[in-house]
Order: sequence, then structure tokens, then C-alpha cells
Amino acid sequence: MMSEVHVHGVATEDARAAIEGAGARAVAHGGLVAIVTDAAAETRAAALMRRHWDVLEAVAATATVVPVQFGTAMAGDETVATEFLAPRREQLVAQLAALDGKVQLSVKGAYDEPRLLRAVVEGSPAVARLRERVRGLSEAAGRNERIRLGELVASEVDRLREHDAGRLHAQLDPLAVAASREPAGGLQTAVNSAFLVERARTAEFAEAVDAAAEELGDRVELRLLGPLPPYSFVADEEHAWA
Amino acid sequence: MAAAQGGYLERPKPSGLADVIEVILDKGLVIDAYVRISLIGIELITIDARIVIASVDTYLRFAEAVNRLDISEDGGAGLPELMEGMTEGGAKSKTKGALEGVKEKLPGGGGDDDSSSRRKRTTSSRSRTRRSADDE
Repeated sequence: MMSEVHVHGVATEDARAAIEGAGARAVAHGGLVAIVTDAAAETRAAALMRRHWDVLEAVAATATVVPVQFGTAMAGDETVATEFLAPRREQLVAQLAALDGKVQLSVKGAYDEPRLLRAVVEGSPAVARLRERVRGLSEAAGRNERIRLGELVASEVDRLREHDAGRLHAQLDPLAVAASREPAGGLQTAVNSAFLVERARTAEFAEAVDAAAEELGDRVELRLLGPLPPYSFVADEEHAWA
Repeated sequence: MAAAQGGYLERPKPSGLADVIEVILDKGLVIDAYVRISLIGIELITIDARIVIASVDTYLRFAEAVNRLDISEDGGAGLPELMEGMTEGGAKSKTKGALEGVKEKLPGGGGDDDSSSRRKRTTSSRSRTRRSADDE
């Protein structure tokens, strides 16, 4: 009787102790282990996400991990071994080797909205002009102008974001093995990027983030997350293998 | 500023739900659809996490915010200066901003709502020991 399992990631056999220490199980095949937990009564997405995160973080603290996409469930241990680990063994071994000794560091920056908008108004004559005009109009009469003003501001913010993110990457990319610009989560997102960094260079990278934060000025609040498992650096080779 | 230097990795990792979602969603190895079972409920949180940002409402809100700005006061740095990435002398350390927020924590057990917990906190637990993961 097979029982459903959630699959969190893949590591090598020597990560077994770490996996069990993280409250997960290791399903082994050919020197590889899949990190799984039993699908229990828990169905709340937030709790499941937290478990996925916690398990991978704990294992990644001492071992190299290839994260599997959150939300992956399989019919049981046997299926994990024969339908996942076995057919993709070669690819998984190669990925584990490529990620060995590296961690993900994510840099997130949020704009301070008043400072950001002030910079936009002061830096764009078009925005400043439209703003003056809108201010003299009633709520109803100025609706279209307001929308245009907001649109113009949003596009200026986009421009600024490109500029800021470009600068940041120019400073940080040289310290990383790979970099990935993630989609901005909202208008206030200045930067949302992931970097794959040699574990030995994390302190150096953090110093570079400090320096970059200094340069970006106080309209951006920059945060460094990590070390994390290499979530953003696992190539989706589904198509290549299909 | 100098005091805060190099402090990042000695801090507890951020684990607010918003960060968790942003970091893990749609990331990682994809297992072929025919051998996997999808989890229920994931789609919902995916939608929540990706609010459409370019809408009339957003523009109106932006316009409103811009109109409320008191430009004359405070003589803040203009765009040209900011664009140059100049650091303003009197401004408080940017790094402070950078270092705050790394304290985010989700209440244990993975609650559903992190709206309160993901508020920034001042850095206060620098005594937390460096995680073993960061060492070697």
C-alpha cells in the first residue's frame, strides 16, 4: 500500500542524517536520495510552504541540495525511486556536482515610497507639469488626467528600477557564479535578484551588498537573504528531457 | 555605519511568509506531470502572491500619492543626484535599512497570516550565533 509523499529535493546518500534530522525521510536510489515527507492531514498552503522551506534549509546547511518545485507530490516512495530518481539520475548527479559548495543569496530592495515619488516628480518635468495641472482639477474632472499621471509615474518608476537593478548587478555579478533577476513583486520592488555564490565568498558578497546599499541611497531599503538552498539555480530541464 | 558592516550573515535568516513565497514559488526542479500529483490549494496562494500591479486603481493611487507630496519642504535630493547614486552626507546609514528586516520571523508552525510579523523590526539580536551553515 503506497502512501502519498511530498518531494522536497534531491541530495546524495551522505545527506541522510541531515535529512532525518530535519524531520524528513530519505528515499534512496543509486547513491541519490530524494528528500520526502509524508503527506499528512496538513493542507494549508502556507504551512506546506513553510515545511518545504524548513526541510530544505536544514538539509542545505550541511549538504548540497537540488530543490524540487514546491507543491510536488508523488504516489509513494516506490514511485519516487523508480519514476523520478532512476530516470533522471544522470541529470541529478550532474546538477548536484555543479551546485556543490555554492549557496543562493537573494537581494531584495524596496523603495521608500515618499522618497521614490519625490525623486520622480523632481526628476521628470512631464510628471511635475501634469501634477500641477491635476491639482487644479476636481476629482471628477481630473480623473483621466489622474490616471495618466499615475501611469507616467509608474513608467518613471520602472525606468528607475531598471537603473538601480542594473547598477546593483554590475557590482554583484562579478562575485557570483550565476545571477538571476526575478520578477518584481510590486511597484515598490526596487530589486529582487538571486545570486549563486561560492559558500566561501558569502562574507565578501555581503560586504558588496553593504556597499551597494550605500550607493543606492536611502530611497531603497536593501535586504540580503541567505544563505539559501539554490532555488533559483536549478534549471528546469523538463523540456530538454521530454 | 561601520558598526553594522559585515553583520548580515550573523543574523537569523529571514523567514517571513512573503519571503518564503517569493523565494520558492515556481522555483526548483519540475517533475514530469504524469508521475506527480499536484497539491491542492497552491493555486490560490500563487494568485495572492501575484497581484496584478498595473491597473487603473494603482495609477490613481499613485497620482494621489504624488499629489500629496509636499515637494517644496525638506529639500530632498532630486532625481539627478539620486540617479548618480550619490550618498547624502546627513542621511542615516543605508546599511541600517539593509540590515533591518533580516529579522523577519513567522510565528512558529507556519501561520497563514504574516501581515503583522513581517513588519520590520529593529536589529536587536546580534548575539545570535552564526549558523553552522555559514561557517565552512
